[in-house]
Amino acid sequence: MASLISCPHCGTRPKEEFLIRGDATPVRPAPMAAEEAWHDYAHLRANPRGRIREHWQHVAGCRRWLVVERDNFTHEVFGVTDAAKAGEGAR
Amino acid sequence: MAYEYQAVHALDGTIGAIAEQRTNHLSVHRMTAVAMVLAAPGQTAEAAGILVSNGEFEARFSGPGEWLVLSEVHAPETLAAELSVRLGDFAFVVDQSHGRVVLTLSGRDAARILANGIAVDLHADAFPIGRAANVLCSHLSVNLARTGNESFDLVVMRSFAEALVDDLKVMARSHDLSVDFATR
Repeated sequence: MASLISCPHCGTRPKEEFLIRGDATPVRPAPMAAEEAWHDYAHLRANPRGRIREHWQHVAGCRRWLVVERDNFTHEVFGVTDAAKAGEGAR
Repeated sequence: MAYEYQAVHALDGTIGAIAEQRTNHLSVHRMTAVAMVLAAPGQTAEAAGILVSNGEFEARFSGPGEWLVLSEVHAPETLAAELSVRLGDFAFVVDQSHGRVVLTLSGRDAARILANGIAVDLHADAFPIGRAANVLCSHLSVNLARTGNESFDLVVMRSFAEALVDDLKVMARSHDLSVDFATR
């Protein structure tokens, strides 16, 4: 587990300050999307090895939601962005 | 039915009398006014400009667009109202005077004591006077601010204050620490 996360608002902090929500790649389907699309979004998750994007919340710090891009095999952290900013880029 | 309300500090009855302050001293403030300020969307810079410390109150960074404002001048009843007037539509203000407890740790070993429970670099170059941050102290989230070379302020939620003081005592076990209410 990556033990130091560089929060864009608070600086480098230990992982104990964060809550990990899970995969940040699924995109919420449109409200009236097919049932299958909603089923995929709500229940199906890949379990990849390597470089992943995850939602982390800095609960003991600024309480902002962050997107952490890290390698779950080598524990290397590639980048941390505020989820609001990351969301703007995706749209 | 008539109720009689009494203002009781969260740490009343948990701190014994001390003969004198030791090398390091943890001072518990009774009357500090505290308010939480959250900038309106897109108004962070405007709110920050109004909150520049002016001797009357001091704004401490808590998160992006979010500050804890402390004042020794204003009464808890008036700080939030005063800030609301000054900030207008730029921010939302909530009085936290009775919801938070303010502690000051000062002394030669203050940074070393805090380093036993806080995983943030407290060297004066990395955490200079005036810097504030929300940090995890043992298992509690506190707002830490450096107020001097050898003094730090900790602002913690009221119900966690007793646990935080206990933790600080443990963290200071190999240093000389006394705890008392601030006289002011």
